Amino acid sequence: MSPNPIAQPEWKKRADMKVLNTDLRRVDGEAKATGRAVYSHDVRLPNMLYAKFLRCPHPAAKVVDLDLGPVSAVSGAIHALAIESEETSFLGQPVAAVAAESLEAAEDAIRAIRVEYETSGWAVTEEQGLDPATPSIGRRGNSFVDRETGDLDEASAAVASADVMVESTYTVPVQHHCCLETHGLVVDFDGKRAKVWASTQHVTGVSQQVAGELSISTSDVEVITDYMGGGFGAKFGIGIEGQTACRFAKELKRPIHLMLDRADEFLFSGNRSGGRQILKAGANMDGRIVGMTAEIWRHGGIARGSNPGQPYIYSVESSHMQMGSVHTNTDANRAMRAPGHPQASFAIEGIVDELAYALGMDLLDFRMRNLEDPVYHRQLDRVAKEVGWYEHGYRAEPNRSRGGKNVGIGFGISVWGGGGRPVCVTSVRIDPDGSVTASTGSQDLGTGTRTYVGAIAAEEFGLKASQVIGRVGHSAYGPANGSGGSTTVASLAPAVKDAAHKAREQFAERLASWLECSAEQVRFEGGEVYSTAEPGKRLSWAEACSILGSRPIEASGEFQGHLQTQGVHGAQAAMVEVDTQTGALKVLKMVGIQDCGLPLNRLAIRSQINGGMIEALGYALFEERVIEPWLGYALSANFNDYKLPGCKEMPELVAIIDDDDDRQQVIGMAEPTIIPGHSAIANAVHNACGVRVYDLPLTPDKILMGLTKKA
Amino acid sequence: MKNFEMLMPTTMKDAVESLPEERTNPLSAQATRILAGGQDLLPEMKDHLAEPDVVVNLKGVDELSGSVRNPGSEASILGTGRIHIGALTSIAALASNAEIREEYGVLSKSAESIATPQIRTQATIGGNLCQRPRCWYYRNEDTVCLKRGGDECFSYAGLNKYNAILGGGPSYIVHPSDLATALLAIGATVVTTQRALDLSEFFTLPSESDPTRENVLEPNEVIETVLLDSSLGASNGWKSTYIKFMERESFDFAISAVALMLKFDGDKISEARLCLGGVAPIPWRCESTEKLLVGRTIDDKLCEEAGEDALRGAEPLEFNEYKIPLTKSLIAKALKELA
Ligand SMILES: Cc1cc2nc3c(=O)[nH]c(=O)nc-3n(C[C@H](O)[C@H](O)[C@H](O)COP(=O)(O)OP(=O)(O)OC[C@H]3O[C@@H](n4cnc5c(N)ncnc54)[C@H](O)[C@@H]3O)c2cc1C
Ligand code: SF4
Repeated sequence: MSPNPIAQPEWKKRADMKVLNTDLRRVDGEAKATGRAVYSHDVRLPNMLYAKFLRCPHPAAKVVDLDLGPVSAVSGAIHALAIESEETSFLGQPVAAVAAESLEAAEDAIRAIRVEYETSGWAVTEEQGLDPATPSIGRRGNSFVDRETGDLDEASAAVASADVMVESTYTVPVQHHCCLETHGLVVDFDGKRAKVWASTQHVTGVSQQVAGELSISTSDVEVITDYMGGGFGAKFGIGIEGQTACRFAKELKRPIHLMLDRADEFLFSGNRSGGRQILKAGANMDGRIVGMTAEIWRHGGIARGSNPGQPYIYSVESSHMQMGSVHTNTDANRAMRAPGHPQASFAIEGIVDELAYALGMDLLDFRMRNLEDPVYHRQLDRVAKEVGWYEHGYRAEPNRSRGGKNVGIGFGISVWGGGGRPVCVTSVRIDPDGSVTASTGSQDLGTGTRTYVGAIAAEEFGLKASQVIGRVGHSAYGPANGSGGSTTVASLAPAVKDAAHKAREQFAERLASWLECSAEQVRFEGGEVYSTAEPGKRLSWAEACSILGSRPIEASGEFQGHLQTQGVHGAQAAMVEVDTQTGALKVLKMVGIQDCGLPLNRLAIRSQINGGMIEALGYALFEERVIEPWLGYALSANFNDYKLPGCKEMPELVAIIDDDDDRQQVIGMAEPTIIPGHSAIANAVHNACGVRVYDLPLTPDKILMGLTKKA
Repeated sequence: MKNFEMLMPTTMKDAVESLPEERTNPLSAQATRILAGGQDLLPEMKDHLAEPDVVVNLKGVDELSGSVRNPGSEASILGTGRIHIGALTSIAALASNAEIREEYGVLSKSAESIATPQIRTQATIGGNLCQRPRCWYYRNEDTVCLKRGGDECFSYAGLNKYNAILGGGPSYIVHPSDLATALLAIGATVVTTQRALDLSEFFTLPSESDPTRENVLEPNEVIETVLLDSSLGASNGWKSTYIKFMERESFDFAISAVALMLKFDGDKISEARLCLGGVAPIPWRCESTEKLLVGRTIDDKLCEEAGEDALRGAEPLEFNEYKIPLTKSLIAKALKELA
């Protein structure tokens, strides 16, 4: 008998799916909710030491003297290291670290270190960064322009000749990731092999980096990320905490627990860059935006910051953009859920609203006239219906009445790639006892990776989701890409599907003789196995597996490009209430729609939409890193002064999966859901009371002062 | 947190004797500190704003009560018929006490508005009145402002969005206690191991004495009870409310708060008590506004006049001018609520 040519794995039709494209509860929800889940923070090993950093309290300083000597007098302190003994370049930069028998002893030891600093000038604001007196921060100078598109003269002329013209400056503050689990890891190194528990978005990368730090081979590093408490883009590399933990582990030959504290987290583990955008735009009476110029300054601290550029998703006949960065002596920005996009969205959605009002045109209608992609038209229409736009009284002018509480509505849109790449190698195993495992080295950031990994295999074998164990977050389970750019699902799901598909084919082959049919005639459905030749004769899954005897089925899978694609769209609407006497802002409702190709777990997708809207709500209402501009103190490096929304801030959230998107391929969709929410809220505030807040967050002081002026 | 010794006295005598007679300035340098619910002292110790060597835990002191009592006609040197709130009474217990809800709605509402359910369960009324300011300069270990014994108020010319518009200088904190504002309106008395103090005498302005302190307590003086003036309760015809404005509703300190108590003769106000929170270094009583309200019927005009009058002396700093229109609006809302 000649072997069957292996058929290509293909996703089933949506209508035929029993597990995928349904609502699946996350398999590890209970472990997380009950505290049974072990995070890196929770790891306790015999003989383990706790490590901690000393931060520089100045934005920039010369380290005149760093005296680690006093550490030896602290009971329980074991060792101290200098991290930066010459010059610091950002507020909170680690200058030294200690390892001690307990966290308390580590803290005492940190405080015993004596450092003498000499500060000469520094910058924590854009203005200070641009001041010629400020010492140089970056190698390219404290400000530079690195991107220019379009023709300035042409665009300016188009703006000038338009029927209406607006010019505004939009500012966004620095936002923090606020992962519940701080950065860090536990390193156990015996001189030859290392075991590492890391809170990371890239297990595979951590094994490589730790191997480098410890001068051993990657295969001698085992990395475990069974559970992690959020990354949002800030946890790709091992960072200074990983390097330092490795240094201690190497020198002391004892396991090292180094997890950042909350202030560390706020001060040196990355952030979403702030920025200032000056937009001039003109539109004609027919509702077309004919010209736009944009001057963009990113505030990425000692890094560059991010912004995808303007006019973002909108089509403008003639536009010009100049983008640059201004450095300050503050922590480098890192990737954060849809890097740069929420910043761009805030400015463009604001100016689009301003143009529509200037023309006296329906805000939704005006948007559609300037969006070419029909997907946005259907999505905007859908969220508009859901939020009650068509019944709303203020569609082309804001409500300017005073004295009561006014309701307003606003919109925003998003775009993303979300395609995969060929990195993941996965495996699926069927054991004679009937158990099935699907394994990947990929980490579950909390997005539900573990759940869909098992579900894909369950769908393949006609099992329930609960009958397959999804195993994630271990370097031994094969290489996987970093979870960034919403690339995880499109990189991983095809590889899991591939492994499951191969395992099924092998299993069918093995069962064929038993069922007295050909492998192609073997069907796996509803927990049973049968041959199409004789559907009445069925084996239960357990019976079928027992036939495997002592030879389990094991198949390995790789990326299959045709099972994924890229390119997603989203639209959101927000309905708010503004108290015109106090400036109090209440978000009443947010509606988000998102396309995503083939939905694997509908519940998880809606959770991502909700999560994106909530994170954008925080950015809209409160979140802002505050650094004292005159003295250089960090004033918001804690959860009292850096405010996150709580349960009472939650609006009614409506998350919609755009089922008009019938692409039969998987696409990542988590990031774009955070892009437009705050813009929709800011626009809704203006719609409610005629006050436009040009600088986030939309705190009541700004709204109230706006209301007092307009009165 | 610095290591410390914890004392668990069982009698008030022992507690007081373990406390220093002389005050060390600033308070943060005090080597011995009183501990009640720990919701402020522990965070201060963790942040190294307070570094006591000895902590005197009041929870085991027999004489101290953690409950609300109404001795009724029972004779007492402090007068009869007043509601006694033991210093260790939790804010949660206060918020849910039916008698207080009935008599002093303003106090229940203020208690309910505080922090989170977890914190309310631990925090006590005594500790709430003695909590330290939330000014973000003060709370940053690296800044040594006037409040911490330094010689400059950084808020004055700094980021002062949350600071005082009334009674400020040389420190511009706002008192963080919600209970204080409501209790001042009720005319509460604080009974300590040394004396009985009207709440209006308990708090002190930074300009009056020492900017590193917020109240007049001696270092070895312990709050035992808070007494509520029974003549100002609902059964004597008083209506009351507490309106607190927060940036974040889920939990936050007041940006501005209004405690209002009114007694009516028909639709005319016959007596009034108005206190503001979140706008001054002490809970702020508006006596002239109270007088202005008497004899008047509540309408838009009165609301406006009252707001104008209450905020007449306000001197905003660079970033907190909004507190003026905000507080005026809150006063108007409170008046309308009781109309
Ligand atoms: C996140 C958060 C939010 C908060 N929000 C609010 C809010 O919205 N409104 C509000 O009013 N408060 C708020 N608070 C403050 C909180 O209410 C107080 O910290 C708490 O009431 C203090 O009471 P305690 O019993 O825990 O005092 P402790 O922390 O034990 O003591 C506080 C201070 O009082 C002294 N002390 C305690 N008892 C006595 C006594 N009997 N006699 C003399 N001195 C005493 C202590 O020495 C210490 O200096 C918040 C706190 C947190 C952490
Ligand atoms: S207001 Fe008071 S606590 Fe704040 S900086 Fe000034 S002196 Fe310090």
